[in-house]
Parts: sequence; C-alpha cells; structure tokens
Amino acid sequence: MHTRSLRKNRNFKYLVAMLIFFILLGIPSYIWTKRNVTTLAGRYNSPMSPIILIPGSSASANRFDNLVKTINTNYGEHHSLLKLTVHTDNKITYTGSIRAGDTRPFIVVGFSNNNDGYTNIKKQAAWFNIAFNQLKARYRFNNFNAFGHSNGGLIWTIFLEDYFDDATITMNQLLTVGTPYNFEEKSTSNHTQMLNDLIKKKDKIPSSLTYSSIAGTKLYFDDGIVPLGSVDAGKYIYEGNIKHYTLITLTGDKAEHSDMISSNQFITIFHQYIVGNRVDPNSPDSKQSAIAQQ
Amino acid sequence: MVGYYIEYIVGVFMEVKFNNKFEEKLVRGTLWVQKLLFYRVIQRTLLLIFPFALFGSFVKIVQTVIIGKEGFLTDIFPSLNNDFIYRQIDNIATGLYNLTLGWVSVIAIFGAAKYTAKYYQRDDQFAGITGVSCYLIVDYSYSKVMPFSFHPQILGIRGLLFAIVLGIFIGWLFKKLSRPNPRLEETSRGPASSVIERAFISLKPIIISLILAIIFSILINITYYSEAPGNFINSLATEYTSRNNWSQLGKTLIFSIYTIVMSFLGWSGTYSALGVEKMDVLSTVNLNYALNKHTAWNAPNPFTSSTLYHAFATFGGTGSILGLIIAILIISKDKDFQTVARWAMFPSLFNIGSGVMTGIPIFFNVIFFIPFILAPIADMLMAAVAIQLHLMPPSVYPVPIGTPGPLIAFIGTNGSWQALGFSIVAIVISVYIYIPFVKMAAKVKILDNLSLRKEGED
Repeated sequence: MHTRSLRKNRNFKYLVAMLIFFILLGIPSYIWTKRNVTTLAGRYNSPMSPIILIPGSSASANRFDNLVKTINTNYGEHHSLLKLTVHTDNKITYTGSIRAGDTRPFIVVGFSNNNDGYTNIKKQAAWFNIAFNQLKARYRFNNFNAFGHSNGGLIWTIFLEDYFDDATITMNQLLTVGTPYNFEEKSTSNHTQMLNDLIKKKDKIPSSLTYSSIAGTKLYFDDGIVPLGSVDAGKYIYEGNIKHYTLITLTGDKAEHSDMISSNQFITIFHQYIVGNRVDPNSPDSKQSAIAQQ
Repeated sequence: MVGYYIEYIVGVFMEVKFNNKFEEKLVRGTLWVQKLLFYRVIQRTLLLIFPFALFGSFVKIVQTVIIGKEGFLTDIFPSLNNDFIYRQIDNIATGLYNLTLGWVSVIAIFGAAKYTAKYYQRDDQFAGITGVSCYLIVDYSYSKVMPFSFHPQILGIRGLLFAIVLGIFIGWLFKKLSRPNPRLEETSRGPASSVIERAFISLKPIIISLILAIIFSILINITYYSEAPGNFINSLATEYTSRNNWSQLGKTLIFSIYTIVMSFLGWSGTYSALGVEKMDVLSTVNLNYALNKHTAWNAPNPFTSSTLYHAFATFGGTGSILGLIIAILIISKDKDFQTVARWAMFPSLFNIGSGVMTGIPIFFNVIFFIPFILAPIADMLMAAVAIQLHLMPPSVYPVPIGTPGPLIAFIGTNGSWQALGFSIVAIVISVYIYIPFVKMAAKVKILDNLSLRKEGED
C-alpha cells in the first residue's frame, strides 16, 4: 500500500533519478578507489607548504620577526610564524603557532648554541635535522621552501647532504643571503676544509632543487663581513648539480651582511622566490582553497 | 466578503491539526518569529538571492567536481588535463561563480536595506544601492598590489548574516534621517524636478551611511576579524588531540554542532562540507596506519571528523540537506518546496547545499533548525556505533572534493560495502528526522499566508 502511494507520487521519478545517479557514479568510483589504494600515499596532497628559515650565527629564532611582519603588511598576507629553538640537549622549545588552514606558514629554527665555526655548524645541522623531523611528523607537509641567512645557508647545505631524504618530501626552492661557502676566504681558488667536504658530497643534494643565492656587496668585494668570493664559491657545490642555480648580487642601501634582509630589494626577491612560488604555478590552487573555505 | 474570509479562516484552522503540544508550540513560536521585521527582511532577502545561489551552485559543481584539481570527476575520469580548453572552462566557471554565489552577500545587503526602507516607507531603491556601496566599502581591500579589489571571503555566503544586519541598519538610518517621499509612486513617470527632490530627500542617510562604512572599514581589518573566531576554533579542532576514543567522539560532535549552527546563520564553521582536504593530525595518523596495514579496519582513531562528520553528516551539504530534499519529494504537497527541491537536488548531490539553504529557506528558519542539527548528529552517532561494534571500518582514505555524500564513506573506506550500507541507513535516518518538520513547515506556511490575508483585509 505504502509503495503504491509512493509510486503515484509525481516526484517518484526524481527519487529514481537520484538512485540511478548514485549507482552510475558509484561503480566507477569503486573501480577507481580499488585501483588507487596503492598509490594513495602519493595522492595525499598536503595543503601546507611551509617556509622554513634558519638564521645565521649569533642570531636567535626571533631573527626574522620583522621580515615576516614586513611581508605580511607589504603584501597583505597573513602568514603565521612558528619559532623553534633547539637546545644543546636536543630538546626543542616552541613559540608562536601555525594558524589552522594556513597553507604557507613561516617556521624559524634557531639554536641555543648559535656560535660560528665548522664543527659548530655541523652540530647545528644535526640539531636542525631533529627539529625538521619533528615538524614533519607534526604538520605532515610533503613539500616546503627554505631560506637561510648567512651560516643558515651552510646548515641547509649540510642538512641536504647528510640528512635529507627526498623520497618522501620535496624541497622546492632554496634562497640564501650572504652564505659563506668558503668562510672568510676571498679567493675562490683556495678551498677551505668545509668547502671541500661540501663539494665531495654534492651528489646527495636533490637534483630537482631550485636555488638562488644572494650576495651583498659594498665596494665591490664584500658585504662588510662575507666576501663575494665566498658566496660565489657555492657554485662549486650547486652549479650543474641542481635544476637551477642563480647568484644574485645586491648592492646599494642596506646591502650590509646583517641589514640585507630588511632591504626592499631583498623583500621583493624573497617574496617572489620563496613566498609567492607555489609548487605548480599552473594549478588553480589559490582559487581552490578560496572555494573550499566557503 | 467578510463572511467568505471567516469561512476560509475557519476552514484552514480545521485543516491545520496539531499532533501534539510540542508541535503546536513550535508552529506558534515560528509564526511569532516570522512576524518580526528582522525575520521578514531575512526571508525576502533570501528569496532574492535564491536564483543566484542556485545558478552559482551549478557552476560550483563544474568548478570543484569536474575541473577542480582534487575534484571528484577529475580524479575518477582523468581525461580533462591541463590544456587550453580546460583553462577556458576554468575561467568561465570562475567568472560565473564569483559573480553569482561568490557575491550573494552584496545582493543580500541590497535586499535587506531595500525591504527595511520600504517597510518604513522610505526610498527603497536608494537604500538598496547605498547598502551595496557600503558593503563594498567595508569589504574593500586596501592593497597596494591590486588597486581595486575586495576581500572575497565575506562577499559570498559567509558574509550573509553580516550583510543582512548591515542592510537593516542602513534601512533604519533611512527611517531616522529622511522623510517619506510623498510622491514616491509618481517619480518614475513624473517630471524631472520630483526626481531631484527624491534624491535630496535621501541624500542625508546616503552620505551618513557611506561615511560610517568608510570609518568602519578603516578602523577594522574586516577579513582578519571575520576569520579570527573561526581560526581560534579551528586551531582547537586541529591541535587538540586525545588518546581516548570517547573524548575524541565528544570533540568531533562538538565541533560538528558548532559548524552546523554557524552554517545555519550563514557563517562558516570548522568543517567544510566540501572535501576533507585539510586533514587533521588524527586523520593523517589513520591514513598512515591504513597505508601500512593495507586495511582501514581497526584504525587507531575511529572517531575523527573524517570518519564521522565528513563521511556521514554532510550528505547534500551541511545539515544532511539531502534528507530534507528526499523528505520534501516524498511527502510535501507544497508547490514551492517541491520546485526548490527538484532544482536544488542536483547540486546537492555533490554536497553543495546553497540552493536549498536560500530557497526553502533554511537559513534562520526556526522550524528547520532542529532537524538541521539533529539529523547530522543522529547520522554521526549511528556511524560511531557501527564503527565501535566493528560493523564497518572507519573511512580513512582521502576522498576527492565534491564526492557525492553517500559515496564518501564508500570511497573513504576503499570500497567497503558495509560503509555503503550504513550510508544508505544514514539517508533513511535523516529523511525520517526531516519528515515531521517538513509537515510542520507546511502548517506554518498555511497559517502565515492566512495572517497575511487578514493583514491585507485590515
């Protein structure tokens, strides 16, 4: 009786159409999901692609507070800032937080022992690896951009050569400022021990990486601390080894080693290479996230 | 004539019988609310935006399901790749979407200001246009990169409540600051001088509204504050994790209720009805478990937002709207409800519920508030029980955006037939929850039309 009255209902055909629709879509989705379950790990597209920053020697994790603030105000963006400090006993303290839904947060990793020197930098690379693994486990991103100021660039390079495993995670872009690949050495022909070590293991660096190195100069030779030749020595490690290697020379106002990250020219380059650059520039990613938010 | 109406009224009251005290109270309460100016304005405004929301939701299907990067059909039938045609379709869809469903709040403030002004017998056209200007001023993004741009977040459905409140405020300003135009009816045909007079009558509220809007706009960073409470809740939802399954269940339920209530008010909650893209930590742990063990059974976190809310509580859009549509198609005799249900059915199959939300309307609708919360919660509890009793695996695998609601659990469990079965049970539950309220809504409508007629008689 009940079914008969339902069949008389003028909307019966709509209900049937709905059922047919689900069956029609259900069959291909069943086949698809069965076929895809093995590659599901690859399909997991992490929405978050953080920018990880390492400050130079004698700077703390607060080194980039102003940089992030400037980026946020100049470009009208709302990147959150998370700061980690790795202590000498491998313990990590967190300050700040990543806003939920922020796909491009800044994460700064600093060290309580932030001294200069090759042995120390190697230690810092090991500490960074601990922090990096924690971040990876905590936020589950599968790609990121990197920035290193001064020795921060050395830490990145050592990290890439000694610790990084690019099977599970991709480093899209690396940008460094005044990174002394040859320490205080002016001539690129005199290789320090560190440079030699870095060149030896350069094959470990992921070949898909795009790297831009900025050197500041005042009076043609150095940025007041790091010689141009020392930054330029990075080419022995990266050139021809990765996808793109670019050396940028920055001059003029605020081209000094420590001031550089507040120069307008630098902010523009930083935003262009590190913040604005998505994994795939053709993807309608930004639009997608705007839709999903509604 | 009067005798006829009395007969009619008596007839209708005979027709409307209440099954119990609760129903009577609810219907009477709704009738009372519907008489409020605020509510009348909301209702008319929603009907104004309905066609745009409906068309926009069709475009949104194209945008998210067919050409979206992680869209359902893009994943299932990967034929349309990144080529010229794809981009053209993408551009067309984006344009159409942004100027239909993407800016309904602008249309809403036009309606709200217009109807409020009309109620107070002020110049409604000027009020509406002033409302649009004010809203765009408030939403203006003072950006150096894009010289003439607006924050898209609150132009869409998310800004609805804000737009309506602001619109009513502007209508009220027109009441306070201008006088009724004695020749409002004639101006369209009348001489030019009366048009000028009409403009000057409304000049004061127009200028004051615009100035207030710009002050408001400068003082607050609207996008930041509109997102701030949501962000706070979001961070709670994603960061706080618990080992205990029951507190997990409680947490998922609380955030689901928060999302549903917020959607009811035209705001947005923690969980999006479209897609499970932003996975929380617990879901990621589940996924990793499933990828290692090659099964979804016994995943470590059975009661997350993806296993319960996304998989079972969003059929047809937030609030298990699909249940309402089916309920209307089965039992409703109301022509309007049926038309809306038929038209909004298709987008709703892909979990885009804006058509029904504005067409019925469900936004701010006292009667539908109860099932709107109750149906998803019942579905989630049913799913939780089923998972706890090991009758089905939790859905842990990622699901493409815009996957039709009843297929989410099926795909999310890698094609578990039990999950599909429970999805059907979830539809049945939500239909049964919605049915009595659809009946009540019909009664409210009859009584409401009746009182409108009476007002007309007076």
